[in-house]
Amino acid sequence: MASPDPHNTPETEAERRAGRLWARTAVMVVVGFVAVFGVLGFVIIPVAQGAQAGIDPWSAICRAVGVSPGSPAMRQPVSDTPAQPVSNVAWTPAILNTLSGADRATGQRLAQEVCSACHGESGVSPSPNFPHLAGQSAAAIYKQLHDYRSGARFNEQMTPVAEALSEQELAAIAAYYAEASDDLRLGTRNPLPDERLQRLVSEGDPSRGIPACNACHARGAGGPIETPMINGQHAAYLEAQLTAYANGGRRNDIYQRMRTISAALTEQERRELAAYYQGTR
Amino acid sequence: MLTTRRLVLTHMWVAFATFSVAIILGVWQMWARSPLRAPFLTAENYFNSVTMHGVSMGYVLTTFFIMGFGYFVAETALKRPLPGKTWAWAAFWMGILGVLMAVLAIVTNNATVLFTFYPPLTGSPWFYIGLVLVVVASWIWCGLMIVAMAQWKRANLGEPVPLAMFATVANAVMWLWTTIGVAAELLFQVIPAAFGWIHTVDVGLSRTLFSWTLHAIVYFWLIPAYIAFYTMAPREAGGRLYSDTMGRLTFVLFLLYSLPVGMHHLFMDPEHSTGFKFVQAALTFLVSVPTFLTVFTISASMELAARLRGGTGVFGWIKALPWKNPMTLATGLAFFMLWFGGGGGLINMSYGMNAMIHNTSWVTAHFHLIFGGTVVIMYFAIAYSIWPHLTGWTFRSPGRLRLQLWLWAVGMMVMTIPWHYLGLQGQWRRVATFDYSDPMIAGWGPWVIVSLIGGLILLASAALFIVNLLPPHRKWARQPGPTEPYRYALAAHPPRRVPEVLNGFTLWNLLVALLMLAAYGWPILQFFLTDAPEAIVHRIGG
Repeated sequence: MASPDPHNTPETEAERRAGRLWARTAVMVVVGFVAVFGVLGFVIIPVAQGAQAGIDPWSAICRAVGVSPGSPAMRQPVSDTPAQPVSNVAWTPAILNTLSGADRATGQRLAQEVCSACHGESGVSPSPNFPHLAGQSAAAIYKQLHDYRSGARFNEQMTPVAEALSEQELAAIAAYYAEASDDLRLGTRNPLPDERLQRLVSEGDPSRGIPACNACHARGAGGPIETPMINGQHAAYLEAQLTAYANGGRRNDIYQRMRTISAALTEQERRELAAYYQGTR
Repeated sequence: MLTTRRLVLTHMWVAFATFSVAIILGVWQMWARSPLRAPFLTAENYFNSVTMHGVSMGYVLTTFFIMGFGYFVAETALKRPLPGKTWAWAAFWMGILGVLMAVLAIVTNNATVLFTFYPPLTGSPWFYIGLVLVVVASWIWCGLMIVAMAQWKRANLGEPVPLAMFATVANAVMWLWTTIGVAAELLFQVIPAAFGWIHTVDVGLSRTLFSWTLHAIVYFWLIPAYIAFYTMAPREAGGRLYSDTMGRLTFVLFLLYSLPVGMHHLFMDPEHSTGFKFVQAALTFLVSVPTFLTVFTISASMELAARLRGGTGVFGWIKALPWKNPMTLATGLAFFMLWFGGGGGLINMSYGMNAMIHNTSWVTAHFHLIFGGTVVIMYFAIAYSIWPHLTGWTFRSPGRLRLQLWLWAVGMMVMTIPWHYLGLQGQWRRVATFDYSDPMIAGWGPWVIVSLIGGLILLASAALFIVNLLPPHRKWARQPGPTEPYRYALAAHPPRRVPEVLNGFTLWNLLVALLMLAAYGWPILQFFLTDAPEAIVHRIGG
């Protein structure tokens, strides 16, 4: 370090000037490119495209920048057809908060007064005619109760029950049952001998457009949050629901998912799947 | 002997060991997608495998290799001991802890979320926290690289920073900018969602923040390959670097234009306007400038080397290059793959053409050819070049090194060319199985089998790579290695002094800030001004 370094000479004026030129050029080039691209992307292209689509220049620019919705190149599609939802449950933060903050004490009282005769105190139903509620999430129970209340799903016994209760009360019941049966696992471990059925459960049948049952219905599969857990459920109840979906008797499945799948299954497969799930943990 | 010897070797072995496991998963994934019946195939296993393969190749191989290589460059290019070696080891163990957490989450089926962070699907929080630890470890590395260069500059006032170190610090600076996006997404959105603290998440914002990181991360992986092109290959070929200034300009341009371009991953997304997509698409085209600068400069450097060795003619000089040298061969093969991969990339980044290949195998083909091909083959060549200096022993049969590189390039082409074709046919990426009895897609089957063969060639190459690296560690199979220190390529006209702007990063950091403000300012701000609906968080594994 002490020895004089031939390179280590002070910067000359020419070098300083060259350095400043480098910096100035770099800034000008970088800013220049952004400016050119900006004028093209925010002004020239949208105004030209907007003119062809009958959109005034100012609206086209606002759309290109993103302060107003839509594309500058085409008119916003308009539809007068009213939406026909199959269910009125929308998973908004408000509903999720209602469910997570629902009053368990009220839920327990209502469950004992209204529900437990058929569905059991902790959601284990004594009769194959009534589904178990044990193991279901609050979202799954709430979705069905709300659908009975709104008319999206119909059942002679359930519809009047759900109509008589408020949304808050339905949420309280759903939250109570989800918690009461949290550690309960219905069904037995029952290995499936039939490989064809096992494929249906874990892989589906792409040639018929049938996704794997377990893609949504397995615990922790990551399907829609209202997906019911069907392990250990009464086979008679499951088969009745699959049949109702297949023949259009039940219609509260979003995007017709279960109606499509059930109709693609044969009657025998529906019966076998129902039996399989009853016997599976 | 290098003082960072053990540090570098440990990083590299972690990188390559992970790589050799992940490649087996990759081959199995091709098998699963092919018409041949693969063992263990369920959708769950497939996506678990894709997650593990992506995390291993994208985050573990790269980060540990780049950190190890950076330490090597800092000591050999600056000819000074690395400052803060205790910090470097602390970062290493933090990274290892993070990797173990992430791997444990994946193998227990709690993080089958692939290696991209796209909520509302979220895995175990420990998966994300593990990866955050890996990123924090790499931040420590960035700090050490910056400090090493600053100390050298103080001790060598007015001297040009050696190009290899300038490029390494360019990468470190770029990586700090790059990780801001994904860090914000993980800390404010994904981890709270994974813990269950929040029930809904604004996926538009998370996709935007991830896109901030998504393009530049690939350049973080790529820059070591470019460091090898500029500072290693010309010397190994027996010549000099054609222009030192071109090198500096290239790395500066990568720093500038890797970042404000990520929205080309969101062309099909609804949350951004056409204007911003156009601007970022146009900025993406500027990334081709440093790429072409490199193709020109390295070709010119190689021509210098060839003519020094007696090569003549317009193209005849190519024959005169020392193709037996692994680095020269790897550079040639990397450039070959770069043409195809880069060409495919031009389609990806074109706002209009992107629509036809969006989310198809084309995209997978593109990044395997660029990253797995061009970049990783240079990782191999770097390892072959520095291994004798790290171990003190050299390779006894260099023919096997060349065979390994050839197998890699051939395997990568055989695997990815069918993927490009299948992508144009509309084959989806990230799908576990296909029903080839459907006449619409039956014709894809043979092509997938061809790409599986490519995958098997890559597996053979990877196995040979590990076998090649072992002998210097074993007494019976090694030759005494070099005694002189590692030398980088000299420039044809070594710079006596370079303008201060090309010797540091102050101006470039200001310009990156300006570009990011222009490209991402409003697109991010809009999420805080509008009342967009949020998506419900879906957690895997309960």
